[in-house]
Amino acid sequence: MAKDAFEKETIAQSLKNAGYSRRDFIQLCTTLVATAPMGLALTENATPAEVAKNVGKAKKPSVVWLHFQDCTGCSESLLRTSKPDVADLIINLISLDYHETLMVACGDQAEAALKSAVEENAGKFVLVVEGSIPRKDKGVYMMLGGKPAIDVLKETASKAAAIIAMGSCASWGGVPSADPNPTDATGVDQIITDKPIVNIPGCPPNPYTLLGVVLEYAVMGKLPACDSLKRPKFSFDRVIHDHCPRRAHFDAGRFADGYGTPSHRQGYCLFKLGCKGPVTHAGCSTRHFNEIPDCWPIGLGAPCFGCTEKGVGFTIPLFDRVDAHGFTATPPDTYAPISSTFGKVGAGAALLVGLASGALAGASWAASQKLASSEETIADEAKTSGGK
Amino acid sequence: MTRWERSVPVYGVPVLTRGFWALCALIAVGLVLTGYREVAGLTAGISGMTDPFAWGLWKTFNVMVLTGLGSGGFAVGIAAWVFNNKKLHSVMRVALLTSCLAYWTGLCMLGIDVGRPWNFYWVVLPWQWNLHSPLLEIAVCMSLYASVPLFLENLPPIFEYIIYEFPKWRSIAETCESVMAKVYPFIIGLAYILPMMHQSSLGALMVLGGKRVHTLWQTPCLPLIYVWAAAYLGYNCVTLCILLAKLAWKRDVDPVVMAELNKLTVWLVYSWTAFRFLDIIVRGKFLHAFTDGYFSILFWVETALTLGSAYVLSTEKGKKLSTMFNAHLLCAVGGMIYRFSPTTLAFSAKENAFYFPAAAELIVCLTFIAIAVLGYLVAVKKLAILPGSNEDWMKMAKYEESIKPGIQLTGYAPADH
Amino acid sequence: MAMTRREAFKTLAKGTLPVLAAGCVSTALPTAARAADDNELESNSKYRKVDEAHALGLLYDATKCVGCKSCMVKCSEYNELKPDTRVDGIHQAPPSLNYFTKNLIKLYRSDDGSDHSYFKQQCMHCIDPGCMNACMFGGLRKDEETGVVWWYGPKCVGCRYCQIACPFHIPAFQWDGFNPKIVKCELCRTPMQKDPSKKEPGCTKVCPTNAVIYGTRKDLLAEAKRRVAAAPGKYYQDKVYGEHDAGGTQVLYLSRVGYDKIGLPDVGEASIPSTLKYSHMAYKWMVLPLLLYGTMVALASKNFAHHSHHLVEEQKETGLRPQL
Repeated sequence: MAKDAFEKETIAQSLKNAGYSRRDFIQLCTTLVATAPMGLALTENATPAEVAKNVGKAKKPSVVWLHFQDCTGCSESLLRTSKPDVADLIINLISLDYHETLMVACGDQAEAALKSAVEENAGKFVLVVEGSIPRKDKGVYMMLGGKPAIDVLKETASKAAAIIAMGSCASWGGVPSADPNPTDATGVDQIITDKPIVNIPGCPPNPYTLLGVVLEYAVMGKLPACDSLKRPKFSFDRVIHDHCPRRAHFDAGRFADGYGTPSHRQGYCLFKLGCKGPVTHAGCSTRHFNEIPDCWPIGLGAPCFGCTEKGVGFTIPLFDRVDAHGFTATPPDTYAPISSTFGKVGAGAALLVGLASGALAGASWAASQKLASSEETIADEAKTSGGK
Repeated sequence: MTRWERSVPVYGVPVLTRGFWALCALIAVGLVLTGYREVAGLTAGISGMTDPFAWGLWKTFNVMVLTGLGSGGFAVGIAAWVFNNKKLHSVMRVALLTSCLAYWTGLCMLGIDVGRPWNFYWVVLPWQWNLHSPLLEIAVCMSLYASVPLFLENLPPIFEYIIYEFPKWRSIAETCESVMAKVYPFIIGLAYILPMMHQSSLGALMVLGGKRVHTLWQTPCLPLIYVWAAAYLGYNCVTLCILLAKLAWKRDVDPVVMAELNKLTVWLVYSWTAFRFLDIIVRGKFLHAFTDGYFSILFWVETALTLGSAYVLSTEKGKKLSTMFNAHLLCAVGGMIYRFSPTTLAFSAKENAFYFPAAAELIVCLTFIAIAVLGYLVAVKKLAILPGSNEDWMKMAKYEESIKPGIQLTGYAPADH
Repeated sequence: MAMTRREAFKTLAKGTLPVLAAGCVSTALPTAARAADDNELESNSKYRKVDEAHALGLLYDATKCVGCKSCMVKCSEYNELKPDTRVDGIHQAPPSLNYFTKNLIKLYRSDDGSDHSYFKQQCMHCIDPGCMNACMFGGLRKDEETGVVWWYGPKCVGCRYCQIACPFHIPAFQWDGFNPKIVKCELCRTPMQKDPSKKEPGCTKVCPTNAVIYGTRKDLLAEAKRRVAAAPGKYYQDKVYGEHDAGGTQVLYLSRVGYDKIGLPDVGEASIPSTLKYSHMAYKWMVLPLLLYGTMVALASKNFAHHSHHLVEEQKETGLRPQL
């Protein structure tokens, strides 16, 4: 009975009961607006106060959080905000009905909690998956309550309204899927195909991206627009290189040539040390971690690892350089040249010109041969007529 | 030995041949692309035009080159009617038909090429004209020529067709014919002065191009040389049409008329070349014909093709039909290259700029050529266009009367005067 | 020593007159020589003149430009142009003037990299513009008072002849879309009309070094000449580009580096339209065409009468309908 009453609460009521001030809530909403200035219906053209008003009216979304082959880093990044009460506030925005590492229960009690959470909110809850799922040998490499993880996922997912794959592992396999991938680990969207899925890759991902997706779903009732890899566009539409604080060094050709060298200490571009920023779509360069400025790899002097990009992180060796010009834009020159280049020869057009002139020449040759074969002239006849 | 006495349709040949359908297929593709061009604009996928090379194939080839090839109506016409060269009357209809098709497809191409064709209506309001613009001259004279004198000149074969095939409309067609006969000299006067004006203005267009047109081509006399080239291109085109008709439909050639066509072509090319060289020498630029690499080669290619062909035509060898065909063809190619040079081949817009058409642009260009060819193929089979003898006409009449009972193609007594 | 006013004038005259005379001779002689040298095509005749005291223009001094491109930004803002990010989808880096860009800062670098100069490209606002002469119905027009050359859409057919006729490669055609426009600098004519508080074009307003200034052609030319006179040898050939080039332009340039190198071609001193004067002569009062027409009609009538007669004779013989 108490549980029913709790569920019908709106977010605003819940926060009030938990003792949060309106100021705290608006601060959080401000961060959300900064995280997703565009791409979310929730924050599009809205002030933080408007966002807070809309979010406050919504019912707390029920969230079931499953762990598979993971390190719990994604949960950790959610909890390790710079102030403990911020994490608490985030947890209070949602109804986190099941989370293996955050709940007291264990053993049968935990199993029962999962079952009841799924049954009671069937078709309504958001399933957050953390970690990759092993598929080899019918998934025997990871057992949960006596069942293979893959079955647990399928069972739970069949009753979920939407699925959020949290972290690179859940998105496409992450670390466990790195070569040679002994357990045939893979992401959620390779197993569940009949549910809306949003991937939030990252190792770990930015917790505010999760918050944006969940609140968008709770308030607007829909998932945000995603790219071809199912990543929400508001956070993954640009490559790190586009807004990198070291970008000016890249454009000017100033590169760090080793760790701890003078060029590295001067904060030069890390591209030559293997930075994957030019090919990695993520908002890291503008949304740093733990609410601390410069708290992200490149900010700390480490090259981007490419964790949010399938086929880059965990695949391309750490210190290998990527082809920056093939993937991303670098201005050809800062200034236009006096005489820029115009015109191009298309293969199809060249072929057509060749074909047309070839056909014309061939036909003309054939025609002239045919005329020649008649051996006809106008000479004698013209003379005859002249003589007439 | 054949004497051309009148025009005779190509008979006993189906109109809907395999070639006809092939052309239709090309035209269908081209028209779809044209529709796309109207919606999407002259984007990179459609045309290879760029800001420095603002004029592409459609204007420079379909209009500026092919109307040169279609200048027979005016070049042969002047010789026949103004200079009273009676031998040429027999090929007038071929010349007029090729002109008509070249001009109308050229005008369509112009309409497709320009970006804002809906504003073209100003052309009917003379007080809105900018009289200094050579392009205005072309727009006015070319559309006027194509829609009035050239159109009227091409009507007589159609009147005849109506008279023979549709007895109901015969009296109207006959009235039209007699009215036409009364005003004919005024029409043909217009039909010669207008092309003279706009064919030269096509050259004047590029005078404004200034130093971007290579000095071997850029001259204040460009208009005159341009119209001169159009004249022999018209003769080339008529001759080639007749020789191809011989190949395709076994039409006999009249040696006297062919010799006359050759002779006029030869003298036009000789005088054109002489005038061109004179112009270059007087301007003091003759050294550029040897020092400017690509441009020098282009210049000599043009000269060799035209002058060489003309020379061959003037010799005994040139009287052989196959040689004649080759010579007229190469001469036409040379002349066409000349007409193409100031706008494209010898036009250096900018240091790093060049022009190469896009595939779609080429297909549309070929489409409108195909439309002209298609029109020609249908017209010569339905109308009395290609020259033949009275004997040919009798044979044709016999054939037609056998399949269309009641048609009267012979036995017309002259009307009383 | 005291000097009376009379003496002062005398001294002044003595000092000035030879200088003046020398100046006159030194100007007149090359001019005369040049006039003699020029063939007729390149004579200095102009079809059109402007009132120099009212004709507006720009003076761009490449030696003062620091390449900050703020004029480009302001130009886009004033003219409400979208940024041209087509190079890579991100950077606003137009490679040349185009339908997004009415004003462009270019950089000249010598081959060995030792020398460089900026160059601001926009419409030259010729006194006798080639584009306007080329335009069929007056889609490009010249403001009667200010001499600003501007595009008038309802009269533009989109034939792009202006692009052929402009020796400076200024008019840009909108290659995308079914309703294309010609885009070129109009000296911020429209923004200034819309907002009377704007007293000068965007580029001159923001230029931090006054490398480009706005004014009447008369004032700008005087200023340019003052700068040349103040530092002989500083500017290329001590020449103000646009004073006579292409018949004179309302936008003037000063540069240390050769004008041809920074993209201002040697176009001669004749205005572009004047190259067509022979063609225009042929059409004077339409006398020649009408005369030709009359002659041809007369000859054709005579020959046509003969021919018709011949046709009737033939019909009598053959019974076939005569063909025209």
